[in-house]
Amino acid sequence: MKVIRVTNDVNDVFTLAYDQRNKKDVVKAESNEFEIEYIGPGWRDGEMLFKINGEVHRVYVDNGYIIIDDETLFKIDRITETPVEEGKSLEEVIKGKEGEILSPMQGRIVTIRVKEGDAVTKGQPLLSIEAMKSETVISAPTAGTVQKILVKPGQGVKKGDLLLIIK
Amino acid sequence: MPPFGKVLVANRGEIAVRVMKAIKEMGMKAVAVYSEADKYALHVKYADEAYYIGPAPSLQSYLNIQAIIDAAEKAHADAIHPGYGFLSENADFAEAVVKAGITWIGPPVDAMRAIKSKLDGKRIAKMAGVPISPGSDGPVESLDEALKLAEKIGYPVMVKAAFGGGGTGITRVDTPEQLQETWERNKRLAYQAFGKADLYIEKAAINPRHIEFQLIGDKHGNYVVAWERECTIQRRNQKLIEEAPSPALKMEERESMFEPIIKFGQIIHYYTLGTFETVFSDTTREFYFLELNKRLQVEHPITEMIFRIDLVKLQIRIVADEPLPFTQEELNKRARGHAIEYRINAEDPLNDFTGSSGYITYYKEPTGPGVRVDSGVTLGSYVPPFYDSLISKLIVYGENRAFAIQAGIRALNDYKIGGVKTTIELYKWISQEEDFQKGKFSTAYIAEKREQFLKYLKQKEEMKAALATVMYERGYFKKAMQAQQTQSDKTTGSKRQSGWKAYGLMAQSSPRVLW
Repeated sequence: MKVIRVTNDVNDVFTLAYDQRNKKDVVKAESNEFEIEYIGPGWRDGEMLFKINGEVHRVYVDNGYIIIDDETLFKIDRITETPVEEGKSLEEVIKGKEGEILSPMQGRIVTIRVKEGDAVTKGQPLLSIEAMKSETVISAPTAGTVQKILVKPGQGVKKGDLLLIIK
Repeated sequence: MPPFGKVLVANRGEIAVRVMKAIKEMGMKAVAVYSEADKYALHVKYADEAYYIGPAPSLQSYLNIQAIIDAAEKAHADAIHPGYGFLSENADFAEAVVKAGITWIGPPVDAMRAIKSKLDGKRIAKMAGVPISPGSDGPVESLDEALKLAEKIGYPVMVKAAFGGGGTGITRVDTPEQLQETWERNKRLAYQAFGKADLYIEKAAINPRHIEFQLIGDKHGNYVVAWERECTIQRRNQKLIEEAPSPALKMEERESMFEPIIKFGQIIHYYTLGTFETVFSDTTREFYFLELNKRLQVEHPITEMIFRIDLVKLQIRIVADEPLPFTQEELNKRARGHAIEYRINAEDPLNDFTGSSGYITYYKEPTGPGVRVDSGVTLGSYVPPFYDSLISKLIVYGENRAFAIQAGIRALNDYKIGGVKTTIELYKWISQEEDFQKGKFSTAYIAEKREQFLKYLKQKEEMKAALATVMYERGYFKKAMQAQQTQSDKTTGSKRQSGWKAYGLMAQSSPRVLW
């Protein structure tokens, strides 16, 4: 069992628990689990067939892009194995620790509406991020106290960056 | 004889390219303008000439009236086409163009001034007999007045900025408390965004459809209505999918709108293209006028498809004094089939449609029967973060709605874009969704289906990441990359194939080689 972090060409980060078995691999993502098996070459040169959760998909690679069923595409930009910290469960590694607010996108912090030590209710706006001329408000997923704020207004953030912690 | 020698297109992206296509077909020269961010953009390459007009922010470039007029004078352009958005509905720009002795490809300046705000539009609509929704006749002065009026017409009401546009400056309010909350904030926002703080209120239609009618008029007082476009699939008042004709309308209902709309055009002596945006309720079967758009619409291709006409060429011919080439009766007979437009936005539906900018690193466009792509990008294009996220439009045509949807699904599957996020995957889901296929939807469609499509999109993205991981970890990815490399070496006749020559050159350049 390994924990693998995949970043694609549009800066999405996927943290996956990857378990290589004899022939079938099991991959656990944030909200889904996949059983994937290579079943052999396809009908055409360069084509491969994979069985994903029981369904057969045709796959080929074009210009570094993985093309699936000649319909949808994916590109690996970076792929790394991440060590699992001791005492952290797999769920925590994949979804982030409870109360950790991660940035959902790349952008710039506009305003922070809370202070460290503030009590927040569920759904209360915490801060806003600007990207492509529009402002997105990040709200609290749970009620609690703001323990730590790790960003400053004006700071650029990447997707998946830790913004603040609610306890 | 082409009506003009040279036409400048004061816009960017897909619409600039689309307008230039019409200009070129008519045998004229197309001139582009561009900002710092668009130096290498497709519309700049496609034009016969291109002029730099300023830094990336649109206020200093595409909204800079003087810079554009200067470029037109430098290029000796005979006419300016404004496209949509930017300065297309700006009467000051139109006037500056006319003053510079250049033809303005758009409605007359007086008509643009007559309906400067949404409220002016409403007033003239009332005169012409176009049905309007109950609400204030002019700007509402105070919160007290607004509360009284809202009580009279009944909640929910819409609070709108009189000078707003493009879906901004509109808030729905359900209770007096909410109205109190919104009032001052919207006034401030309206002032910041449009320079005028005037607000008005009108009754909110509940789960309406958004249907717009295409008015075409010439300089000789002839008018036709090229039916309607259904633009109901929206998020946050921004259209995503449009179709023509509307699956909800009967011919009598459609025709009932023609006369008042033509009358509206006659009152303000309108010519070229105008779009009457209305809301339509499936239950009461009534239209309410929202506003008149004084420009070419983003979704004009679907009208072009069902009537087999070119609205941009028509626009150009009309400003060159030509009469309309058809009557209403002839136009009605031309209508055939069904067309759908999918707006391909560089946006992330999984993240509340936030914009995605970057370089296009993979690009395959669909072609074939019933498929038209109006694109502003190609492989290697840069999608800058400064402007609208619309990068391309996929338009499909079918003999009827079901066939158009089939063509749509096929073309969406063929459309592959990498490097920026797009709405393509979302449209694949919508096209297969039951309510969409039955034509049963309201403007709340995207909000109502949110949970469902988010789940689907998330699952698909994670599946792709999982598969990529397996391919990488088991070495299939590397193998495929190598196979593709040798294949492309063979087909492109890459120099690496010629080992002998490389060896020869190396031998000669080495000082240690003695003959």
